[in-house]
Amino acid sequence: MLSLIVLGFYPLIFIVLTALSESSLGRPFQEWVGTANLEAALGDDDVVASLLRNTIYAIFVSAASAVLGVATALALFRSARSGAVVRTLLLLPMITPPVVVGILWKLIFNPSGGLFNTVLSFFGYSGDPVSVLASPTFAFLGIAVADVWEWTPLIALLVFAALLGQDPELTEAAALDGAGGIRLFAQITLPAIAGTIAAAFLIRIVLAFKVFDLVYIMTAGGPGQSTTVPAYLIYQAALQQFDLGRAGTITLLLAVVVTVVTLPVVAITRRLHHD
Amino acid sequence: MSFSPRRNSRPRTIFTAAGLAASVSLVLAGCSAPAEDSAAADGDFTGEELTVLLISSHEGASEWLSTEFEKETGARINPVIVPYDEIGSKLALDQQSGANTIDVAAPWYVSLGDLAADGAIQDLTEWVESDDALDTDDFIPSIYEPYSEVDGKRYGVPFDGDTHVLFYNKEILERNGFTEPPATWDEYLEQAKTITENEKADGVYGAAIFGQKSPLILGASFANRLAGFGGEFLDDDGKPAINSAEAVAAAQSLVDINDYALPTPAETDFGAGNSAWFAGKVGFIENWTDLGVRSQDPESGSEVVDKWGVSFLPTGGDNTESRASLVAGFSWVIAANTEKTELAKAFVEWAASSDVNEALLTATPPTGIDPNRISSLESDSYGTEYPELQEANRATLEGALAWPTGEHATELAQILTDELAKLLAGEGGTAQETLDGVQAEWEKILGS
Repeated sequence: MLSLIVLGFYPLIFIVLTALSESSLGRPFQEWVGTANLEAALGDDDVVASLLRNTIYAIFVSAASAVLGVATALALFRSARSGAVVRTLLLLPMITPPVVVGILWKLIFNPSGGLFNTVLSFFGYSGDPVSVLASPTFAFLGIAVADVWEWTPLIALLVFAALLGQDPELTEAAALDGAGGIRLFAQITLPAIAGTIAAAFLIRIVLAFKVFDLVYIMTAGGPGQSTTVPAYLIYQAALQQFDLGRAGTITLLLAVVVTVVTLPVVAITRRLHHD
Repeated sequence: MSFSPRRNSRPRTIFTAAGLAASVSLVLAGCSAPAEDSAAADGDFTGEELTVLLISSHEGASEWLSTEFEKETGARINPVIVPYDEIGSKLALDQQSGANTIDVAAPWYVSLGDLAADGAIQDLTEWVESDDALDTDDFIPSIYEPYSEVDGKRYGVPFDGDTHVLFYNKEILERNGFTEPPATWDEYLEQAKTITENEKADGVYGAAIFGQKSPLILGASFANRLAGFGGEFLDDDGKPAINSAEAVAAAQSLVDINDYALPTPAETDFGAGNSAWFAGKVGFIENWTDLGVRSQDPESGSEVVDKWGVSFLPTGGDNTESRASLVAGFSWVIAANTEKTELAKAFVEWAASSDVNEALLTATPPTGIDPNRISSLESDSYGTEYPELQEANRATLEGALAWPTGEHATELAQILTDELAKLLAGEGGTAQETLDGVQAEWEKILGS
């Protein structure tokens, strides 16, 4: 109970109170302002756009991670006896600090000699250097690639563990009945691991909503506002502008959005586990 | 090295943002204490320790200060180094949380108003005005006021002068047929465009533009042009004046150079821009005057030793008077809850002294410190080692463009920076529309 209060209720109450008050970093709760902070945030195009942007981003990178993670897990499962080294290497992106991941991918996308442009040149591209992270259209895609690279191994390992936990007799029986390839996967393997995939997807989507380090390092929310996510706005409001009221309000709005988006995923996960 | 002749100067203009609304009742402890005499800084603090919060760019200076202050007083300095954009929040949280581990800090001068309103720093007015040893008349006036004063009270003492000037690579200019650096932003664009068109295939570009979305980076690039076009952040009454014709021209100038700069301005922070400069890959870079010290230091990785020149910031529009731009700059402040106020004052008095500033200007390895005093700026040692930098820094003697410094000043700077980033990314409409939006936001905060 104590841990619930310390880890759950206290931060939540603190955030709600800051959202309802004029609060600065050094002097929280100076004045009760009711819903003024909320109205200001909802009237701020940058805040609303960041919430929408983050939702699209989270769904996209989570789906990409899920597809790639499952594919990787299946490949590992089929080569399980020789995959120890590969499984260890898979952990590398996940255990690399996010700041380092951001620096690494920023260097890869660097228009002045980065790996991405070097590869393009290798395949015959001779135009101006491509600046992925300076493009309002592609910058978020660049961050998404780094994010997927970093967290896909998590899904792969979770699904791989689920594959190992399958009843081998079931798949052997299906194989004897002539099932194989995609049919075996779709009718036997996938139902067996669907609950794990859904749970992994849930974890992944929450992680994607929390993305901050990669944005901070790779684009600082730019170009323009094209990669600004709520977490970055919260950082700016709280630690650069000392405005805890705005930071608390955006945090609450983000919490609402995350809840709305993840509720169906939670329901699906529960249903699949019960099935 | 060469130097372009000085252009006319303009009267000093100082801006401070209006409205310090919060009480400062928590920050007065220790301010009524008698002023330190100079002898106190010469050995009365043996065995004591002072924790000083500095940004990473001042790490070299912190080492010099720690060593020399211990020699002077016996007191040990414990430097705490943080990224430049975290020093304000680190200090505020340290004081608000009751940890109180920080005694002295050197934050960005623009944050003084917010730190004061948060009760994180002491009101130093009485001490500053009564301590003759501080010799405040010797501070460069255009630096002293914004770096120390908020709404008539003194919260800081200047540490790092930090004015931007225009550095140019003489070899690159000569290769492209230019014998003089640009005097106007139009000439600057023309020269940068020519260089980029001629040499980008070899990885050489006309200019490095600090365009990453940060007030100290993109905001600085805009402020340089605002100063050149003769604009202001606020008018004489402290009201926003950020959508003036001069400001719009400054923003447009930034848009115009975008396509000819080191790819890409949006990704160019201090590290990327300075690296390109030291590698001899850009014709121009706007930077603090201490870049010249590092450009002459091969051990800093400079490949442009003796290949660079420095000029005043260009002018633009109807304005023909070059003006310094105080885009960064850092002040000593004393933490509100420190129990070592006397030692902190002794340290600040010593660290802000003319002798120390002069020594830091020419110290090796380079310390990143620029002049904050008239005497150090005009010192023989600085003039002998870096005559061009000395001349460029004299622009501050005649007035400078400073950011607003009152409460909410950091928010003002962030709003401007965010909107400029949108403009450069093609998301913000025209320069006029962008700055009209900033003006409206600023008026909500400061009043119209």
